[in-house]
Amino acid sequence: MMKVFVVDNGGQWTHREYRVLKYLGVETKIIENTTPLEKILKEGVDALVLSGGSPSISVEAQKLGREGDYLESGIPILGICVGAQFIGLYYGGKVGPANIPEYGKTELNIIEKDDLFFGLPNTFYVWESHNDEVKELPSGFQLLASSKNCKIQAFRHKNKKIFGVQFHPEVENTEYGKEVFQNFLNTI
Amino acid sequence: MFDAKNFIDEAISKLKEEIKGKAIIAVSGGVDSTVAAYLSSKAIGERLLPVFIDTGLMRKNEGFFVKRMFSEIGMNIKVLDKKDYFLSALKGIIDPEQKRSIVGERFIRAFEEEAKGFGAEYLVQGTIAPDWIESGGGIRERIKTHHNVGGVPENIKLKIVEPLKELYKDEVRVVARYLGLPISERQPFPGPGLAVRIIGEVTEEKLNILRDVTEIVENEIESAVAKGEIRKPWQYFAVLLPIKTTGVHGDKRVYGDTVALRVIDSLDGMSGNYSQLTHSLLEKISIRITNEIPKINRVVYDITNKPPSTIEWE
Repeated sequence: MMKVFVVDNGGQWTHREYRVLKYLGVETKIIENTTPLEKILKEGVDALVLSGGSPSISVEAQKLGREGDYLESGIPILGICVGAQFIGLYYGGKVGPANIPEYGKTELNIIEKDDLFFGLPNTFYVWESHNDEVKELPSGFQLLASSKNCKIQAFRHKNKKIFGVQFHPEVENTEYGKEVFQNFLNTI
Repeated sequence: MFDAKNFIDEAISKLKEEIKGKAIIAVSGGVDSTVAAYLSSKAIGERLLPVFIDTGLMRKNEGFFVKRMFSEIGMNIKVLDKKDYFLSALKGIIDPEQKRSIVGERFIRAFEEEAKGFGAEYLVQGTIAPDWIESGGGIRERIKTHHNVGGVPENIKLKIVEPLKELYKDEVRVVARYLGLPISERQPFPGPGLAVRIIGEVTEEKLNILRDVTEIVENEIESAVAKGEIRKPWQYFAVLLPIKTTGVHGDKRVYGDTVALRVIDSLDGMSGNYSQLTHSLLEKISIRITNEIPKINRVVYDITNKPPSTIEWE
């Protein structure tokens, strides 16, 4: 059984990520974002999901614990919301308060189907809950999806299995949320 | 997928292991605490005392309903009338978080007293995942204090046992259906009860008005569901607003109260869409409320999803 842990950044939907993974037949648990990398490696994890959460990325990135270590480790990673923003920040992109924050139902436009949106429609509805966003992607990353008020809705590292989504695929109301998770698992 | 039988077997054996002596369980008549009570009773039998507290913040005839429902499933519960104990503490309180923590604290104190009499060291609660998620802690923000988590005072004497902690409501319902419990489809009702559906100070008069309104809303929605006109929403209730507006009753000016209807569709309460009820159903509810409860002369419909709103208004 594949083993994927959810790294908790304090989100309202962290436990939903755990639930979606569990329902997809993955062995999973929620871990603190301060868990030392060695401990995670020792448990033989196949991938990590970095959850969303309330930390404000431009001033509270230190609240995201040791996620920089996880990114360096080569473990495949899916960052969600502030988890995605952290990936952007860590690799030298620009992050900060969104010009227009998004709450609830938003239309997502897929730019590049790639692995993450494989087999999904070109546009569908997703649920959002964010005040901050990735404003400019770091070099070496590719844009995968946008919405009307937030250009960087999904992205990936060009060579590594590191993905970020601003929207919340784990939320029941998000269309094709499970498929996004399954597509991520398929890359591992 | 979620396996009810597996969950039940594991939960009962964990409860047997965890509860060494006697326990009391707080039951509300909702699906979570009923499932928790049923499992605990299977695990420890006579060493369990289920207690229902009438806080005065309940819907109409709730105590009667809950007692009858438990006797149908072969369990005896103790019903305590604590109306004054709760209502006096809420006097003058308008802040929703303060209301929630007062109710949480009063619940625990009342249970401690009962536990003492029964000789119990444990308090079983029907806490589910959204309760502790929304109550916050560590790096998680507090969205609202759930009475059974954030509202629990730090100096509690009882050991808390929460067999449903990792489940969401839809999963608890799967367990309840498997066990054949009659309340498996009952809509959620907040622990602090109508106190968080009265914006502003809670008074007996407002509680009585809101109880009448709630009864109409529940009747109309449930009858539309029974007739197959709509799918059962996740929750359907009314909120009494501290706003008076102008109306006209028999050519006379009136200045009356306003209620908001909140009807929402959700799987697990962690996100949701407002229900797109038909205008004719909304109109029917509005006409009944404003005619049967003349103090209310305006009904509005809440058309916000979660997020950005929460389901309850407070």
